[in-house]
Formats: sequence, C-alpha cells, structure tokens
Amino acid sequence: MSPRGTVGEARLDSAKDAYGAGRDVRALCVFGALTALLVAALVANLCVGTVSVPLNQIVPILSGKYQGETASQVIWNIRLPRLCAAALLGGALGLSGLLLQTLFANPIAGPYILGISHGAKLAVAVVMILILGDARVMSSWMSLAAAFCGSLAAMAAVLAVSRKVRSASTLVIVGVMIGYVCSAATDVLITFASDANIANLRNVSLGSVSGVNGGQVALMAVVVTAGSVATFLLSKPLGAYQLGEAYAQSMGVNVRSFRLAVIVISSVLASCVTAFAGPISFVGVAVPHVARRLLKTSRPQVVIPAAFLTGSVACLVCDLIARTLFAPVEMSVSTVTAVFGAPIVIWVLLGRRRQVG
Amino acid sequence: MGQTTQSASGALVETRDLAVGYEGRVLVGGIRLKVCPGQVVTLIGPNGAGKSTILKTIAGQLAALGGCVLLSGKDLSQLPVRARAQELSVMLTDRVRTELLTCADVVEMGRYPYTGRLGGTTPEDRQKVQGTMELLQVWDLRDRDFMQLSDGQRQRVLLARAVCQEPRALVLDEPTSHLDVRYQIELLTVLRHLAHDQGLGILVTLHELPLARRVSDWLVCVKDGVVTLQGTPEQVFVPSVIDALYDLTPGSYDALTGDVLLPEAQGHGREDDAQA
Repeated sequence: MSPRGTVGEARLDSAKDAYGAGRDVRALCVFGALTALLVAALVANLCVGTVSVPLNQIVPILSGKYQGETASQVIWNIRLPRLCAAALLGGALGLSGLLLQTLFANPIAGPYILGISHGAKLAVAVVMILILGDARVMSSWMSLAAAFCGSLAAMAAVLAVSRKVRSASTLVIVGVMIGYVCSAATDVLITFASDANIANLRNVSLGSVSGVNGGQVALMAVVVTAGSVATFLLSKPLGAYQLGEAYAQSMGVNVRSFRLAVIVISSVLASCVTAFAGPISFVGVAVPHVARRLLKTSRPQVVIPAAFLTGSVACLVCDLIARTLFAPVEMSVSTVTAVFGAPIVIWVLLGRRRQVG
Repeated sequence: MGQTTQSASGALVETRDLAVGYEGRVLVGGIRLKVCPGQVVTLIGPNGAGKSTILKTIAGQLAALGGCVLLSGKDLSQLPVRARAQELSVMLTDRVRTELLTCADVVEMGRYPYTGRLGGTTPEDRQKVQGTMELLQVWDLRDRDFMQLSDGQRQRVLLARAVCQEPRALVLDEPTSHLDVRYQIELLTVLRHLAHDQGLGILVTLHELPLARRVSDWLVCVKDGVVTLQGTPEQVFVPSVIDALYDLTPGSYDALTGDVLLPEAQGHGREDDAQA
C-alpha cells in the first residue's frame, strides 16, 4: 500500500510552468543587469584615478601595447591587481554573509558584524608582531592561515553564545562586542610594533585593497573560487535549512556535516578578505539582502551567484569612491562600505519589526 | 489490552522498548507502539508527558536512550538520512520563518530526498508539487509569500510539504494547535483521507479529545513516564481511562458526547449541571 506515485497524476504538460511564473525572466534580467554593472565598474576602476586613462587606450594597454609608458604601468601594476582584489573579495564577502545568515537563521549576520573579521585581523597581527617579529616578512600564505585560525576562533565564540541565546539581536550585539575586543587587542599589539610592521598592518587593520600585488591576487583567486564553488554545491541543503534545522534534518540534510561545511567555508572566505584587505564593513550583511530583493526569492541556486556579483559590484564602486573622492588622499574602503551598508542593515531591521508586529 | 486492530507485521513505524528523553535522562520508557499502513495512531496525555519527545525520537531528531525504532522493519539508527526521509516525513510545532519564499517553494522542498545534487526539480517533481497542493487545497496560494498566510493556511502548506515528500509514514506534532475549529476539522479530514485512501501510516499528537476520538484508529496514552494504555477509541474513551489519564475529578468526562465538563463552582450549583 505505498502512496508513491498516487499524488498528482494529471496535467503533465501544463505543470511545467504552473507556479513561479516569470521567475526565470526576472532572474535573467537581474543577472544581465548585474553583469553590465560589473563590466562598467571594472572599466571605471581602470580609467579613473590620479592618472586618467582614456577609454580607447584600455584595450591596447591590456593587450600589451604601450609597454613601459606610465599609463600602462599604472594599469598593470596598480589598478588591475587592485580591481581584481576588490571584485574577488566583494564576492567572497557576499557569500560569507549569505552562509552566516543561513547558519544562524539571522538576517543581520555577517562576518564583520559577528566579529569574525576582527578575530582574523587579531590573529594576523599576533603572528606578524609576536611570532615573526622583525626577523621575517610574512608571506601571503601565512597571513591567510593566521586569518583562518582567527576567524574560526571568533566563530567558535559566536557559536557558543548562539546556543545560549535565542534572540537574533542579542547574538549580533555579542558579535559586535567580540569584534571590539579583538580590535582593541590588535591596537595594543600595533602600539608595540616596529614601523615596518605598522606599515604592513595598516591594510589589515583598517580595511583597504590598496597595494595588493599580482601574486596575492592569484592566491585570492584560487581561494575565493574554491570557496564560491563549494558554496554553490551547498545550495540544496542551504535551501532546506531555511525552514529550520529540524525540518532540514527530516528532509535528509546531514545537519552536523552541513553546519561544519558552512562554518569552514564562510571562515575561509571571510579570512581571505581580512588577510589581504582587512575587515571590510557591512558588505557581507547587506549584499545577500540586496540580491534576494532583486530576485524576489531566497532560493540559493540563484541567490548565490547573484550575491557574488552584487558583492563584487559593491566593492568595486566603494573602492573607486574611496580612492577618488578626496584624491590624492585615500579613504579605507571600509569607510565607504559602511556609509552604504549600514542604512541597508537598518532598513532590513525595520522591515523585520513590521513583519513581526 | 490486545492489539486487536493492529497487524503483527508490516508496520511502517514500530518501537521496541523505546526509551526517550533529553541528555541521557529518560522521560518515557518501555514504549512499544506500531503504526500500520492506513492507520491514524494518536498519542494523548497531559502536557509534559513526553508525547513530542517520542515523536522527535521516532523522526530521528533525538537519539533513542534505549530500545529501537523500526521504519518498515529497518532500524532507524542504521538508515541513511535520504532513505529515512523517503520513509517518514514530519510536521513540527517549530515556528517556520521564511524570507521571500512562496508556498510552492516551501512545498517543493518536500522533493528534497528525490532531487539531484543541486536540488533541480524535474517536470515530474513539479507535477507532484501541484498534485499535493491541490489535494490540500492550497494550490491557489502557490505564488503567495509563505509569511503572508494565516495560521490555518500555513499549517496546510506545511502539511502539503510533508505529503509531497511521499513518505510511507507521516509524523505530526500537534497539527491542530493555533487553528480554529473549522481548520481543525478540515486538517483531520485530510489526515483520514491520506491514511484510509492513500495507505499512509500517520502518527500524531492531539490535545483536543473530541477530535482525537473522531480521527484515530488507535490511541496511545502517555503519562508519568510510561504508556499507560493503548487501544481503539472505544477502549480508550471511557470515563475511567480519561479521568485517570488527565487527573480529572471522576465524572468530568462524558463518554457519550466526548465533552469534558467543568466542575461545579462551589456554592453556586447550576441547574443544567444537575440535569447532566
């Protein structure tokens, strides 16, 4: 007496588009628009700056003409690595935020707000100042590894708290406090650091993508690509987890290994950002919401790529503003992302309130 | 206490001396119950007796503290998660909060144990989503946001999700709480239909005794850490059993109507009480 196959035998032909009509069209439009924005942001980041490069010179420069000229050197050595870093790290932040929001079932979770970025920052400072001292220069791999350990430690602290508190906002406050403690400890370390280390730590401490080199970008690309592919492969259980852990478990999600995977992947992505650019504020928490609102759904299969693109565009635009607004003085990108990101977080919070009430 | 209406074999859910509880502390022990195809089995008993804990253990969300749970004869603890999800689905009391998910999205999650690595659905899956939603009369809500529904609609969508998982057995924890009487009756009518016409085995906890009496083929009474009695509605819904199960003043439960009477207010005896 199996019930299998007894449900809904009618209308095989019409069932295909029976629900979710117009969704594919919308997704197509959103991805088209995001791609166009990304291309525009990339081009703008190449052209605009203290040395202005005309649009019609970009392609020749990128294809290897004008070698040795100032414009070519600026593009190849400074702007290209920098914009690659901004695009990659922005995407990484978007995905990291998305993973954390699902894991904690909390719309205001993100690597910066929960203090995970600051944990990573502290770990990098500890390794650079206390362990290596002045004797050796820190390699990219080492700062990445240190940042990952720091992320995991901060994540462990947040997870421990999340078992005790039910309230979403309490968890966020605890995360912010963890962030402050880690920042304070980093500042203490910097006080006792040598000048060379202080220069190295400036990026890591404030959040900026200036001064990255090609080797760092290559490493970033490998790590972020791996993390993004891994996130996309998790899209099915991420979707089920939206109904809560108990339902996810009942549908066949192996909750323990799923949670572990989410913790590791989001930490890898967040620590990659912090190791190369320091804590970048609010992109992680705001970007997933923007992606979901644009698509009008939270199905991870479409939200994951959209969040990556949105994060890339956001970081590219913010970095452009950071380096051009008060040129030649540069702001940290984190300052600019806060200006745009914080209002989005407030808007999300207010929207939630209204829904509950 | 013979299991007159329960066959000896072929049970979809069977527990053998199952002990359930939290953190190693046994709340209810020695549970032996069976859910056969086509049967609605209801757990009744006072609050805090451990009914939900029993359901959570059978659904694999809590580890058994003793004994075992068999799903179609296979040990639950040995069953891969995907196979378990095809065997049994649940509807819980957990409040579900979604963001930007339509009702069809929620129901479609029931296809989880059948879809591929990335969760893409086939036309057959989508047709099953439609069939289930029509069966539970929520097809009109398909493109509505799940959070915008009333409690009654939400419960039906969650039930549709559970049915869409195409399990052999369905486990429901207090599906009628938060519902007004019309939705309660509708929901229980659907449960009976699923059991009697589609052959599902249904295990459910209910607080409303009149409803439990109407919908159940078999009842399991849970109190003070044990299963005190199980049997058909005729065997269980007698005044002595119900009074003892809920610690009522003898005579409070009316076996004929299924009504529970309030004790007389002291010093103000009312006439219709005297007539009853």
